[in-house]
Amino acid sequence: MPAPETDRRPTAADPVAITVEGVSKAFGAVQALVEVDVRVRAGEFLSLIGPSGCGKTTLLKIIAGLVPADRGRVRVGDRVVAGPGRECSVVFQDFALLPWTSVQRNVEFGLLLRGMDGRERAARARAAIAKVGLGGFESAYPAQLSGGMQQRVGLARALAVSPRVLLMDEPFASIDEQTRRVFQDDLLRLWSEERKTVVLVTHSMEEAIYLSDRVVVLSPRPGRIHQTLEVPLPRPRESADVRATAEFARLVDGLWKVLRKLQ
Amino acid sequence: MTLAALVGLAAGWELIGQLDVSMFVPPLSRVVATSWHLLGDGTLTRAAASSLLSLVKGFVPAVGLGVVVGLAMGRFAVVRYALDGWINALMSAPLSALVPILIALFGVRDTVVAAAVFMFSFFVIVVNTSTGVRSTERSLVDMARAFGAGEAALFGRIYLPAALPAIMLGLRLGVVQAVKGMVVGEMLISLVGLGERLIYYGNTFLITELYAVILLVLVLALLAGSLAQACDRALVRWK
Repeated sequence: MPAPETDRRPTAADPVAITVEGVSKAFGAVQALVEVDVRVRAGEFLSLIGPSGCGKTTLLKIIAGLVPADRGRVRVGDRVVAGPGRECSVVFQDFALLPWTSVQRNVEFGLLLRGMDGRERAARARAAIAKVGLGGFESAYPAQLSGGMQQRVGLARALAVSPRVLLMDEPFASIDEQTRRVFQDDLLRLWSEERKTVVLVTHSMEEAIYLSDRVVVLSPRPGRIHQTLEVPLPRPRESADVRATAEFARLVDGLWKVLRKLQ
Repeated sequence: MTLAALVGLAAGWELIGQLDVSMFVPPLSRVVATSWHLLGDGTLTRAAASSLLSLVKGFVPAVGLGVVVGLAMGRFAVVRYALDGWINALMSAPLSALVPILIALFGVRDTVVAAAVFMFSFFVIVVNTSTGVRSTERSLVDMARAFGAGEAALFGRIYLPAALPAIMLGLRLGVVQAVKGMVVGEMLISLVGLGERLIYYGNTFLITELYAVILLVLVLALLAGSLAQACDRALVRWK
């Protein structure tokens, strides 16, 4: 498989990658996933897309160790996933912020659960908050923030624990379009700085093409890998006006042609 | 608005009382004066102190045990299936019907009043706590688990704070039930405290004194409710 033309192409020396082998999952009589195989290279930005009911969120939760697979196996780095692990952080569609406490405490939460002492925790959280552009909002409560800002808190909390893998479940779905575009650029910037492996679940074709190295298309009922598309757009994309290029339009259209047959 | 309604009601009561329509409606001013007098000479103070002690002795364990049972029911389906039927039956049953059982268990001493307070307030606390736990956002639980939270951390850092508003609501409803339990216990079983005064004044047709005690019970219930509400506000500032 040819590597995409990027300025930060993943190398075989990177220790963490994700391997999904023959994963199947049923909820009662509903077959959510059948025999799914995915390999994510270290440092790669991969999107999962498909019609609703294709099991893309279930697949993400299986990789996160939140949902056990019925059959098959997931490895993150050297670890066979049997539950949540330290390499992964999850970003949730509904942000999953603790409404009863401040931005600072929310961002500290993962560090707290992993047993870090108070002072270091506070410093790490403040750094993560600054990184996502929310410096000055440490003492605000989630309800006082806009949706976009709340998701920035969710991202800061995920980054604070220094994960090697970032698992994002439709993180921009409940954020308005203008805010979303700025946030996507910030995410790409952070990603190129921190060299994380990212798996993003989305239902937006533009989003998948704009952000990803590869897009995995899942077919619904039962969820299977339908097709995998390479996205050869040059990086960094966040500074150039990639969305306005003919190549971008062609790739989105190609993805649409694949998805349309699955509706 | 509430205040205006209360003033209107008081004025109406006073008017009917002054018109001397019935011996069962003495003027409010005379009732208040009698309350004051009975508190002053110690008659009601002693009764109220005894009642309050029973209230505390019954309500505190009801809160402690109620929250624990509610948390367990909310979190573990097995516990819920085991207890749900009982809790619902006992919550909707007329608890006064259980008086003979309480007498058999606790005799007619002061403790039986505390037991009645417990019986009246326990269930609403259990049900509210359990509901609060069950309505915890799924994604908050997933989030904590993704960061490696075990069962203890899930309880302490997610389920308990998420259920706190519902628990506090249970306490506010429960404290009102507790006052009812107190009066029922004192009137129907033990004949102590304010309940004993109600029976005594009722049987001797000292109507003004009877109203004076009723007024005191109402004030007590309102104070207990306000106290619970103040706790709620202090603990659940984020809502």
